[in-house]
Amino acid sequence: MKTITYTLTLAAALLAGNMLYADDERYERGKPYMTETGKAATLYKTECGACHMAYQPEFLPKRSWKKMMQTLENHFKTDATLEKEEYATIQAYLLRNASDAKPVFGDIGKIGRKIPADQTPLRISETPYFKKEHREIPKRMILQKEVKSIANCAACHTKAEQGNYSEHTIFIPNYGKWDD
Amino acid sequence: MKKTMIVLALIAGTSLYGKTVDAYINQLAAEAKQQNSAFQGFSAQRGKDIYFSKHIGKRGKEVSCASCHTDNLRQGGENIFTGKKIKPLSPSVNPKRFTDVKKVKKWLRRNFKDVYKREGTAQEKGDVLLFMRSN
Ligand code: HEC
Ligand code: HEC
Ligand code: HEC
Repeated sequence: MKTITYTLTLAAALLAGNMLYADDERYERGKPYMTETGKAATLYKTECGACHMAYQPEFLPKRSWKKMMQTLENHFKTDATLEKEEYATIQAYLLRNASDAKPVFGDIGKIGRKIPADQTPLRISETPYFKKEHREIPKRMILQKEVKSIANCAACHTKAEQGNYSEHTIFIPNYGKWDD
Repeated sequence: MKKTMIVLALIAGTSLYGKTVDAYINQLAAEAKQQNSAFQGFSAQRGKDIYFSKHIGKRGKEVSCASCHTDNLRQGGENIFTGKKIKPLSPSVNPKRFTDVKKVKKWLRRNFKDVYKREGTAQEKGDVLLFMRSN
């Protein structure tokens, strides 16, 4: 009897999980970004947030993070190498929070889900859904000195560090709010 | 009584901190001497040259330490590749600087590679540290 209840509960949970995955419009919109907190998350924010914003690990799949961690001595042509213990903690943190390691809600989740299975992007900014969402932004707004690069998420997404990319939090320097 | 204990603890705390970075610098001096028997001690003037001289860096662009940390160490800078702000390096306005040996070593390793495309030598590291800490 007990086993049956367990099995049923498990089946129900799996079904619910699948529905969440499939129907992102209805279930995921407006869901706040929630991620792991604690020592590993803090270390990640310090180390991987030293040169740019600490990108949410939920943006990219495990295979992308693995590849990135293997190439830190030449990370986008800069040296981002870590000490051994830091390396292990950060790698584990990235892998357990990757886009394909758990259900990820909202716009962050969409980016991860729309990456083709045969691709291993190192840039969030080169994934299909990201490109689609940003294709209408004029080049000069990205190249201006207050932004510099499309990878500088927080220059336009005022709540990017908190994982909130919703439209009403966008403010482009020398331009303003984004209405489309 | 309590007060003296706190003061003593504070003094011990700061000197311990100082000691680790100072110990690192002593270690660099020993290495520099080993690599070059004519080594006479670190020089802030040589450090200044290391800080300001320009090189074609890892990204193929001409850079120096000042590109990101600016000409004035008491001012904040900006990572020229990403746009992220950097707090001043000078310990006179940012006392947290040069208190964590691990951090100092890590960034000297990375930043030398970014600017000089190689690790700094013990003498170069000691020279530039002396320059940065006294500005
Ligand atoms: C020494 C500086 C430095 C450190 C430390 C660093 N990065 Fe980067 N990172 C860069 C640079 C430079 C770029 C390219 C930025 C650009 O093109 O605007 C970049 C780009 C990225 C991108 C791609 C952004 C995009 O979508 O275009 C990701 C993802 C990334 N870094 C993750 C990490 C992770 C994870 C860590 C920690 C292990 C880390 N970074 C540590 C310098 C750094
Ligand atoms: C130059 C400004 C700018 C930069 C830099 C930028 N974005 Fe955006 N982003 C926008 C604009 C504008 C939109 C809205 C597009 C629309 O809805 O038409 C947007 C949309 C999004 C969306 C979809 C939001 C939604 O509500 O559908 C996500 C997710 C996102 N950006 C993530 C990022 C990430 C991650 C980065 C950094 C790697 C980044 N953006 C960098 C301007 C920017
Ligand atoms: C591409 C930008 C860039 C360049 C060029 C650069 N740095 Fe840095 N440096 C950084 C960043 C980013 C940090 C870490 C962020 C922080 O601590 O504010 C840093 C931190 C440091 C630290 C750590 C200080 C402490 O104790 O907190 C030292 C030392 C340092 N840099 C020295 C140098 C030297 C020497 C050079 C030239 C060989 C140099 N940097 C060139 C970006 C740069």
